[in-house]
Amino acid sequence: MKIKKGFVLRQVCGENVIVGEGLDAIDFGRMLCLNETAAWLWKKAMEAGDFTADGLAKALCDEYDVSPDQALADVKETISQWTELKVVE
Amino acid sequence: MKSTLYYIVAEHLFCVESDESIAALLENYEPFRAAFTEAGQALFSLSVVNDGPVEYVEEWRQDEEGQETVCGHIGPDDSVFEFRWGGRSAGWLVCEAGYRIGTLHLSGFQTKAALDNSLMILFAMASACTGTVLFHSAVVSLDGRGYMFLGKSGTGKSTHARLWLQNIPGTELMNDDNPAVRIKSDGTAVVYGTPWSGKTPCYRNVSAPLGGIVLLSQAPYNRIVRLKGIGAYAAVVPSISGKRWDARIADGLHETENALATYIPVWHLDCLPDADAAHLCKDTIAL
Repeated sequence: MKIKKGFVLRQVCGENVIVGEGLDAIDFGRMLCLNETAAWLWKKAMEAGDFTADGLAKALCDEYDVSPDQALADVKETISQWTELKVVE
Repeated sequence: MKSTLYYIVAEHLFCVESDESIAALLENYEPFRAAFTEAGQALFSLSVVNDGPVEYVEEWRQDEEGQETVCGHIGPDDSVFEFRWGGRSAGWLVCEAGYRIGTLHLSGFQTKAALDNSLMILFAMASACTGTVLFHSAVVSLDGRGYMFLGKSGTGKSTHARLWLQNIPGTELMNDDNPAVRIKSDGTAVVYGTPWSGKTPCYRNVSAPLGGIVLLSQAPYNRIVRLKGIGAYAAVVPSISGKRWDARIADGLHETENALATYIPVWHLDCLPDADAAHLCKDTIAL
């Protein structure tokens, strides 16, 4: 999967927010608040370019003290939210 | 005969180079005229020539009440904005050097509007990374502070500003449509009148510390609530002009918007177009 072009992670009043700024995202018309873990996953997904749930879950396990099963469940839930909001493809 | 005229808006210097027939159309800029000796480093310069059309690659277009702006580019560094009314082209603004140099190629139709649009675009883009934003807003002053009213077209920004003027002694209209706001080096925000004011000829070279920002919605009652954090940011962003798919511009605008949402009181006013709305608003936001 990929994060769609034009979506940007911004720090707004101390919180992590996804906004649509690029030409392909300009009609998004809303802001998506991310918790700290989701923001961390977003950055990893951006770095990876083409990412998978397994890849992000592994990265999450390497960074945080979390079991592989829990990490994968968290990642899948986050990705399903992103899919629903059409910020990934 | 070409002439160069200098102006200072929101403490930014810019210049317009044109022949006399164009210079005669710049009446609304007169209160902002600067002497050449004050010139120094201009934020941007605009040259006006009568040689449209310009060929370019289209990126995006925006349609607002019969007025269409088409954005595009020529090379990788040159942006183009074409202005159309009722499908007919008025001019093509070509921007170079990070919006520091603009050339407006006129068609001969709607010259004044193309000129104003070009100067607003250059001002908004060239100043975006200097803590300056151009708002779509009506703004009044009271007791030395500026209060801005935001909302979609047709919401009643001008109407609410007029209600303050009619019902709250000491209120003055600073600008009715396009004030500028600057974050100063000490972190305070200042709102400025500009040569652009929509349908109301209010071209005042005035400024005031920004006391509050109010997003208006029409409602069958009057109610005001404070917005904070992301809510305040989301209220402010849609009222600020810019080309957000240019990442450098977007970063600059975001920084200013975030500062405003963090440090300036932002409110949401559900309101009727009546005196009570102005009093409720004033009693809540003006200390």
